[in-house]
Formats: sequence, structure tokens, C-alpha cells
Amino acid sequence: MIVHGKILGRKRAREGLKMPKRSASSSPKTERVHVISRKDGWAVKKEGNTKASKLFDKKEAAVEGARKLSKGHDIIVHKKDGSIQKWERPEKKA
Amino acid sequence: MSSSEEDFSRNVFINCPFDPEYVPLLRSLLFTVIFVGYNPRIASERFDSGEARISKICDLIKCSRYSIHDISRIQSSRRGEYYRLNMPLELGIDIGCRLASKGILQSKTCLILEKDKYRYQKALSDLSNSDIKSHNNDPETLVFQVRNWFTELGLRNVPSATKIWERFNEFMADFFEARERDGYQDRDLEFMPVPEYMDFVKEWITENIRQVK
Repeated sequence: MIVHGKILGRKRAREGLKMPKRSASSSPKTERVHVISRKDGWAVKKEGNTKASKLFDKKEAAVEGARKLSKGHDIIVHKKDGSIQKWERPEKKA
Repeated sequence: MSSSEEDFSRNVFINCPFDPEYVPLLRSLLFTVIFVGYNPRIASERFDSGEARISKICDLIKCSRYSIHDISRIQSSRRGEYYRLNMPLELGIDIGCRLASKGILQSKTCLILEKDKYRYQKALSDLSNSDIKSHNNDPETLVFQVRNWFTELGLRNVPSATKIWERFNEFMADFFEARERDGYQDRDLEFMPVPEYMDFVKEWITENIRQVK
């Protein structure tokens, strides 16, 4: 039996399928900002734009960059496999 | 071209693992094939306990001009786990179908995917002279490899792999949001049948991409 090194365990793989908890309201699709994995880092891309706005080495920096770009709209932070890690929605003003 | 020939030239037989670890790769693979305008055919597309699985697989192979075989599970991942033989078996049937047939089936073309570039040569040395592509268990790399394979076959006017990967991410956002709105729970997504997922992909691409592309 050949055994090779670590791969994703079942539990961790399942985590990628879980739906993030978030509030009910959402921005129009064209206003949403995505943080997307790229081979060379993390891209911040506003939906509907043809190109990513900026590339970052670190994911945390990309999320910060997305917050500056979003101007009060939804930020969707993706995992490396494209699924959703976090969905940030702006607080609704009363 | 008759409708059956047209179907044949658009069908892509998908031969891959169905374990939970592979789900992220399978999702990006199916999305990419549908995005570039082809029709994935996969053993889990229909479930009939009365149908012999091998017969179903042979039917899918015969009705598909293209095949994508992911043999990345030829090594077991932990002690005591068996390595998977289904994928190499189905790859063999597909190649045999092409070599032993006459007519349209001789035009069959396949892509072999592996985790690493050269690992398969130790387990499947008969394929040593074949070109394969590796994805390193990374969905983004898989999108690149599959998209580029179609363009190497002559497909043109298809968006870049980067664009398809970005679109896949946008699809995932809409997919999760819509399923949550429809009352889907984590386990509904975890065990979502492949045909249901493919229907969501097709619907999303029709609504969001075709008019933009």
C-alpha cells in the first residue's frame, strides 16, 4: 500500500461547503466586491469590472483593500477553492 | 450534422473521484466545461439501481467525443485506504473504444489530469509517452488546465482562464446565497446531487454570461 503525505481531511473538506452566516439584505450584484485567490496572491475585484482592481500578496491585506474599495457595499471573501469564507454586509442605517 | 452527432461533438465524459475531498475540484471542473459551451456527462448524472454501472459508463463513453480523466487518486492518502482503480479502468475503456472502433468514435479525444506531473508514470507506465496535465489538487489550476486544453483542441473566442476563474467565484457567491434563501442547509449542499448542481450552473451561465461573453 502506498501512502503519501498530508491531504485535506474529510472534516476540513466539508468546511469548504458550509454556508457563511450573514444578514438578509444584500448589495446589487454589480456593487459587490470579491476577494479572490490567484496563483500569485489575492485579487480584489468589483463585480462587473473586466479586470481586478488590485493584487495583494496577503489575504488580510486584500480584505482591507476590498473594504476601502467597497464604499459601503458587500464584500465577499472567497477561500482558495472559490467557496465563501466570509460575507461582509454594511450595517443598514435606521 | 444530425442531432446525435451534434450531441456527440459537445459531450464531455467526466471520469473522476466522488469523495468529499474532490468536491471543490469537481465543482470548478463542471463549471469550466459548461462555461466553454460543452456538456458534461458523468456517471452520477442519473441514478438507477437497476442499471449496471459499467454499462452506463460505456454508454457515456460512446456518446462523448471528449473525455476528461482525473487519475489523481491513484495513490491512497492514508494508511489502510485503498487506492482507486475505477478511474484508470474507465480511462482504459475510453482509449480502447477509440482504438478498436471505426467511424466517428475514432475522433475521440481525451485529457488526463493528475495531481503531479510525473507521478502517474510509476503506476501507469503504459501512459509514459502520453501528455497529461497536472492540477496539484488546486481548483484554480484545474480551471486553467481544462480551459487551455479546449483551446489547444481549436476552441476560439473563449475568455481567459483568469476570467473563467473569477466568474466561477462570482457563481459560487450567487449559488450559496440563492441556496440559503431557498432554505438549503449545509448537508443539503454537501450531498447535493451532481445533476442538480449542473442545472444551477447552466441556469447561472445562461442568465449571467452568455449575453456578456
